[in-house]
Amino acid sequence: MSWPIIRALVTKDLRLFFRNRFFAYISVAGIAFYIGIYFFMPSSVDEALDIGLYAPVLPPVFEQVQGEGLLIETVDSIEILEEGVTEGLYLAGIVLPPDIMEKLAAGNKVTVDVYFASDTPQELKDAVTNLIQELAYLQSGQILAVDISEEIIGPDMLGRQIPPRNRILPFFAVFIILTETLGLSSLISEEIENRTAQALLITPMTVKGLFLAKGVTGVSLAFSQALLFMIATGGLNQQPLIILVTLLLASLLVTGIGFLLGSAGKDLMSVMAWGLPAMIVLAVPAFGVMFPGTVSDWVKVIPSYYLVDTVHLSANFGLGWGDVWQNLLILVGFDIAFFGLGIIALRRKLT
Amino acid sequence: MAGDAIVAEELTYRYDELVAVDHISFKVAEGEILGFLGPNGAGKSTTVKVLTGQLQPREGKVTVLGIDITRDPEKVQAQIGVCFEITNLYEKMSAEENLKLFARLFGVSDFDAGALLERVGLAGRERDRVEEYSKGMKQRLMVARALVNRPSILFLDEPTDGLDPASAENIRKVILEERERGATVFLTTHDMMEADKLSDRVGFINQGKIVALDTPHNLKQQYGKRALRAQIAGPDGGLESREIIMDQPETVEAVQELFGQEQVVTIHSEEASLEDIFIDITGRGLTE
Repeated sequence: MSWPIIRALVTKDLRLFFRNRFFAYISVAGIAFYIGIYFFMPSSVDEALDIGLYAPVLPPVFEQVQGEGLLIETVDSIEILEEGVTEGLYLAGIVLPPDIMEKLAAGNKVTVDVYFASDTPQELKDAVTNLIQELAYLQSGQILAVDISEEIIGPDMLGRQIPPRNRILPFFAVFIILTETLGLSSLISEEIENRTAQALLITPMTVKGLFLAKGVTGVSLAFSQALLFMIATGGLNQQPLIILVTLLLASLLVTGIGFLLGSAGKDLMSVMAWGLPAMIVLAVPAFGVMFPGTVSDWVKVIPSYYLVDTVHLSANFGLGWGDVWQNLLILVGFDIAFFGLGIIALRRKLT
Repeated sequence: MAGDAIVAEELTYRYDELVAVDHISFKVAEGEILGFLGPNGAGKSTTVKVLTGQLQPREGKVTVLGIDITRDPEKVQAQIGVCFEITNLYEKMSAEENLKLFARLFGVSDFDAGALLERVGLAGRERDRVEEYSKGMKQRLMVARALVNRPSILFLDEPTDGLDPASAENIRKVILEERERGATVFLTTHDMMEADKLSDRVGFINQGKIVALDTPHNLKQQYGKRALRAQIAGPDGGLESREIIMDQPETVEAVQELFGQEQVVTIHSEEASLEDIFIDITGRGLTE
């Protein structure tokens, strides 16, 4: 198979891709939109917990913990406190009774009211409750008879909390690559349905050459756009080689999926009908990075998990080959599987 | 003496249980135009697909330009041009871009798209997108695309189907020019007049079998009836028709009697058309 033939076909495909107004628009406008959103997102992490406090008598321990990840704001009335919690100004509102100091000194039980908004996660409610109990112990001079030994499993991320814009980076990178699945599969399905593939295969172009050309087109479209996005957002500042390899493997993956969708679809609409559900499934792991704790372990059966996880770990935490090699190996496995399936499906359709 | 451009021996193709092409054998000489005629579903397009390497024969052997098509289809495909029955052009590209793409695929370095488009009557519309073309213009572009690599064999599947008379005539002219250049032409068509006019030989295919293969003249001699058709003045002043079958023992006597006893107004010789012969051989029409 000669390269001038492959080049001619790739050039033709890219020309047709950008002449399709829909794909041209979502490609160009999509990247601009994602870059815009990225820079619009906060670039720093607000790690403090805002807590409202109504205390006719303020125990000194509450003043001591101020600033240690806690921003405690005292208010003049319970009404103001309730309003602050409802409007989201405070994560929680604590009401201390006027006789708290006396009761603590006498060793009596103190009742503390805590207000939460209705959508506050249970984990946060538990954390605030524990905080109050700990402060009460401190105030009464009793130290909990527990020694806590900390051991970090895996890379220690202490002090490396990432800002929202970096958290969204893998999501956008994945989404840009996934979008190109639709473009490639549309090009393939049109080639089959309009019988232009038949005309190509009566030239020195072989079926193998056709796959190679479509593969080059798919990888070029997906990789170049993801790369552009990563460069624009500074996503290559850490571990650029790992990220480039990951994006390349991801481009191969979506090209294989594009082959499958292209052989199943008949036109743009049917490609969209098959492609959008696939895109949604493949985007799920990215939500796990954006909103930690929202997805479970089952997400690891989705191939894009390994792409998102690797980009997240390398671009946001600078982790190296030793930490992500397993992800990359699994991604290679998925590439082979989807490329193989795509070629089988497309060959059946073409011949 | 010219060699054989195409040799098919006992060529057979089946779609599952359906035998589309059934043990057909024929040869096409270099520089010859072979008209391949038959009704829909007779096996014409399947034969073309096998000859051009799109389908592998289930039985038999096909040699194109001395090359076994099953062994080296790419080598054959580099030297042939195919015009498909159904238009399959890149509609979002211009005529010029379509032709240049195929020139690159064939590795033609000195390709002049403008000259080729002028030959098929598309000069001035080179840069228009194909989606803006009429059916006739698309068909002419299909023929032009088949000529991009100056093919040794040209396979044309219904090239003038549905075209206006001027466009059809333009394509016929191109076909004859290609023959002049030395190309072999394998022409499948429904149009009997066209086949008669263009073909050196015609082959009739019916239900997957070749039922006749010869020059149009020989087929007419062999299967057709020749006759004289005359109009004579009737006793009441009207016109009556008379037909005299030729090549019969009583033909001379009948002609003498016609001119001796009747007032002949017009007289024409009449020979069978290829369609008449096809019906005579197969018992069915070409458009069935």
